[in-house]
Amino acid sequence: MELKTIELTKTFGSKTAVDHLNITLSNGIYGLLGANGAGKTTLMRLLCNIQMPDFGKIVLNGKNIVRLGEEYRSLLGYLPQPFGYYPDFTALDFLLYVSALKGLGDKKAKNRSNGLLEAVGLSAESSRKIKTFSGGMKQRLGIAQAMLNNPRILILDEPTAGLDPRERIRFRNLISAFAKDRIVILSTHIVSDIEFIAEEIIMMKSGRIAGFGKPQEIISEIDGKVWECTVPTACAKKCAAAFRTSNLRNADNGETILRIIADSKPMENAVQAQPNLEDLYLFYFERPPKQTEKEL
Amino acid sequence: MKKLIQFEMKKIFAKRLTHAAVAAVLLLAVGLEFSSYQNMYAFDGEGREGRGRQAVEIDKGIAEKYAGTLTDEKVRQIMEDFKPAQDLHGMNAAYIYQNATQSSAFRRFSDLEGNWNGRSVSDVFGHETIKIGYTYGWLRTSQDMVKVFIFLQLVIIIMLAPVFSGEYGGVDNIILTSRYGRTKCAAAKAIGSVLASLAVTTVVSAASIASALILYGSNGLDCSILFAPTEFVDGYIPFNITCGALLKYQILLAFSGTVSVTGITLILSAICKNQMTALAVSAALYFLPAVLPVPENSALFKLIAFLPLYNAQFVSLMSISQMGNGLLYSLWAVPVAAVAVSVGIVVSCRVFARHQVL
Repeated sequence: MELKTIELTKTFGSKTAVDHLNITLSNGIYGLLGANGAGKTTLMRLLCNIQMPDFGKIVLNGKNIVRLGEEYRSLLGYLPQPFGYYPDFTALDFLLYVSALKGLGDKKAKNRSNGLLEAVGLSAESSRKIKTFSGGMKQRLGIAQAMLNNPRILILDEPTAGLDPRERIRFRNLISAFAKDRIVILSTHIVSDIEFIAEEIIMMKSGRIAGFGKPQEIISEIDGKVWECTVPTACAKKCAAAFRTSNLRNADNGETILRIIADSKPMENAVQAQPNLEDLYLFYFERPPKQTEKEL
Repeated sequence: MKKLIQFEMKKIFAKRLTHAAVAAVLLLAVGLEFSSYQNMYAFDGEGREGRGRQAVEIDKGIAEKYAGTLTDEKVRQIMEDFKPAQDLHGMNAAYIYQNATQSSAFRRFSDLEGNWNGRSVSDVFGHETIKIGYTYGWLRTSQDMVKVFIFLQLVIIIMLAPVFSGEYGGVDNIILTSRYGRTKCAAAKAIGSVLASLAVTTVVSAASIASALILYGSNGLDCSILFAPTEFVDGYIPFNITCGALLKYQILLAFSGTVSVTGITLILSAICKNQMTALAVSAALYFLPAVLPVPENSALFKLIAFLPLYNAQFVSLMSISQMGNGLLYSLWAVPVAAVAVSVGIVVSCRVFARHQVL
């Protein structure tokens, strides 16, 4: 299965949310990373065919998804952000309703709904009204509804928002087990979620692809640009503001270790560190400060 | 599809606002009926008078005495039996109310002093055969049902305004990306809405009629609406139909009105971005004909009268004309409603299917 965007463009007034995007997705888990306003949600909505592009098209195995219509939607599972629901429906009723929308028969709908409620840890709450749910419970219900039809293309917008660490682990395991022979696209601000499960990373900036590849490949772009420097705690805040700093960690002796992303050695005592996805995120999406060590 | 329609109806009826609105219209239907009943007054001309149940008993007793076809002899007998005994101090006897039968006769056949004005039954009603009996309870029921049906159509608007627009708050994402979201689901919403409005109209109509049957019994349903107390003479339906036919027409027009309202509300619900806007625009459009400067005798009124408000306020629509086969022009409201709801279903489904989530 191959999902491809061709010169995909979407504008809102003077803002170009998705800008002549060309990308080819085959089976696997894709992590979509980008700052707020980078165009992630618009891209997902375009892929779900609930927004029409101003230019370009999306094709699945060579066929335009608009023409495929119902056939395409029967392959699709989508968790939007924010996730809308009916407050007076119970969790089970909501899943049965979505099952009916997805064309599942009565028996299959019940089995699948109960199975997914179990998988997302909501089976004990199946007959509770959704309006009584916490944010995390609603989010888990949202994940369950997206997977009801066993979709071949699963698109999840901020799936881990509101989930506690235990639930996030449960989610990662669920998606990893589910993803075989499917296209799973998930966007999140929690970089570690993507780092653990995504097979490919798509970095989006101003509606364009800023980086695309396997995590290690893409992270290797900043090899030699991540540094750790030890500074007195008193001036740590000032130093952190002066550089693109991904982390501050207090050491025992009144000193602080800064993790800095910079093309060249930022301080005398700086030592190179192994880059990770958070460093990459910062490298792409945070504007570098203009100060140098000398100015400090 | 059946499952989807069930879910859509469940969504409509699960809302607290729907519960409150339906309860309010049922309360209004039953409350108005009992209020009219309690306020009824009758004097039998021989010293017995009363209100409420007693008034209905007096009216029924008098109506039974003269029941059958209205003749000149009966008219003169009624005039004689209820001739004012006191000086009227300049008041017009035709408008003085003692009981339903007296008022019906005096309004048509009395001069200022309460004497026969010299007009015969054929002078007043032409060659129509006027069957008389106890009709007052049913005529008052019909009058109350006008208010109930106007409010009922507003309730339908409250129920249906969120059908599409309510989804635009976030669930549209899920619906429109699902297999049947743009096809069967949109159709299920429209069909569910029509069924829900028909169900509520049935329940409300049944509540009104059942209350009237309990209070007034079934007497008088085969009697003409033309021999009626003073409040049902000026500006009332001028055709010789029975009370039963009047109620059938009224209920049919209530259904055609709610079906038309359903069609219009569905379109606005699909177009408007949120349910409050859909509700406000639908309600404003519903009441718009009330402020249109179109006189009832103009040709344009023949079209405007098919708007839902005039279906509920049925007297104007039923007064337009009687067709050659004896049926009233108002029956055209039924095909008009069928067209309105068909257009409503098609347009709302297409708008919803093409809706872009922003």
